[in-house]
Amino acid sequence: MKGELKEWQEKLLGVMKGRRNRQLLYYLELCTRCGLCKDACHIYRATGRVEFVPSHRAEILRRLYRRYFSPLGRLIPSLYEARELDERALEDLYEAAYTCTGCRRCMVYCPFGIDITWLLGVEKAMLVAAGKVPEELAMLTDAAIEKGNSIDLYRDLLQEQIKGLEPELRERTGMPGASIPIGRKGARVLYVALAGAHSILPAAIIFNLAGEDWTLSMFESSNYGYFLGDTEKAARVAERIVSEAKALGVEEVVITECGHAYRVMKHLDEVWSKQKFPFRVSSIFEPFARYLKEGRIKVDPDRIAERVTYHDPCQLGRNGGIFEEPRAIIRAIARDFREMNPNREKNWCCGGGGGLVAQPDLEEFRAVTGRLKAEQIAATGAKIVATPCENCRLQLDLLNQRYHLGIQVSAVTDLLVQAAVVEKGQKKAAALG
Amino acid sequence: MADEFKVDLSLDLRGLACPLPVVRVGKSIKDVPVGGIVEAIATDPGALADFPAWAKTTGHEILKTERNGADIKFYIRRVK
Repeated sequence: MKGELKEWQEKLLGVMKGRRNRQLLYYLELCTRCGLCKDACHIYRATGRVEFVPSHRAEILRRLYRRYFSPLGRLIPSLYEARELDERALEDLYEAAYTCTGCRRCMVYCPFGIDITWLLGVEKAMLVAAGKVPEELAMLTDAAIEKGNSIDLYRDLLQEQIKGLEPELRERTGMPGASIPIGRKGARVLYVALAGAHSILPAAIIFNLAGEDWTLSMFESSNYGYFLGDTEKAARVAERIVSEAKALGVEEVVITECGHAYRVMKHLDEVWSKQKFPFRVSSIFEPFARYLKEGRIKVDPDRIAERVTYHDPCQLGRNGGIFEEPRAIIRAIARDFREMNPNREKNWCCGGGGGLVAQPDLEEFRAVTGRLKAEQIAATGAKIVATPCENCRLQLDLLNQRYHLGIQVSAVTDLLVQAAVVEKGQKKAAALG
Repeated sequence: MADEFKVDLSLDLRGLACPLPVVRVGKSIKDVPVGGIVEAIATDPGALADFPAWAKTTGHEILKTERNGADIKFYIRRVK
């Protein structure tokens, strides 16, 4: 049978074989197609397409596995729902793997706890081996690796960008000595932002007001290798930050408001790179909530008068375990806070995760599949939706336009800056943007 | 200053945050012929390093970068 396979088929089946373990067999064999996952999936609920039922996304993998790795499937494929690995199967794998946001809500509702996203990770690994991946995700991953490889070429450009922010930082904090240190050895905290000012300046304001001993990373926290499903490249993207943190000797690596970046650094990269970090990884909300509790930053809860709701990014909340710290901050700065229903681990995905936001061709798909989230937001009556994830914010902006929600989508840190009080003269740190 | 280049496509990427400026350029550069020039204006300072890294990995060429206040203008030649 093996002799009949083409080289590319051998390669892809080799990937599947390499991923074959107890977890894979458990997930493939245990699913009873009960259908509970379909009702938990925002994409299926919005489209009604059977291809988007979570268990169906994994069904292709299951059938391929039977065809090539189970004795009966190899002997009599037609009787055992076995499927050939051909071009059509690759097309189906692609649609299954790269139109899922990886929110893992289906896993919460699965009676057996089957992690469909993990199975889609196997599908993505096969597609990576086949070179059949979303072009944008591959491009962004390669550019991030290039930045890490040639940081000396980009260092001056990055420093120019950062220095340009400092006058505004001093103005907003009222602190003549406020600064954004980059690559400072011996700092306690390494803050890893996104590329661009919007995630650097607000955090710098809070770090300076709190008197934190911090430095800014040369690298952005986002990791498109993770969405791509190429764990080797994803680990290389993450390694830029790990190496920097080790070289600087920091105690804590603080990840900006970015769901997948937090999950990669907190929960995944130590496994991928087979190492134990000599530092702690935190979400930005852990130190910020601590500053509030310790009185290191003061806030005026009357500055944000409109109703605020909070969207749990799937990678930060359900998959990252950060639920309460951002809520503690919002409750401290907004008197009218209203939870979405459901929330926390049962929150609806906004539809922007999984790298979908970075693929312009999927914009209409995202607009349609975000319907449940739009309805959820509208039901709160909130005028401000705070969410600590760039992908979520871009998606919620799209939903705001499409569903005429009339909301302001904001990072939590931007709201915290708006509410932050500068001790001397009680100068207001005006809202950003 | 654009006079020195014959621009085939202009992209206004002002107000877009990462990674959208690079994504839009990566998609739109296919709309010009090989050798054609894309003019892209971004305001996100992250573009200063992101565009050169993108160009290096995709093989396209950044001919010039101009700064005008918050605007960062790139002239990019499609190489392949």
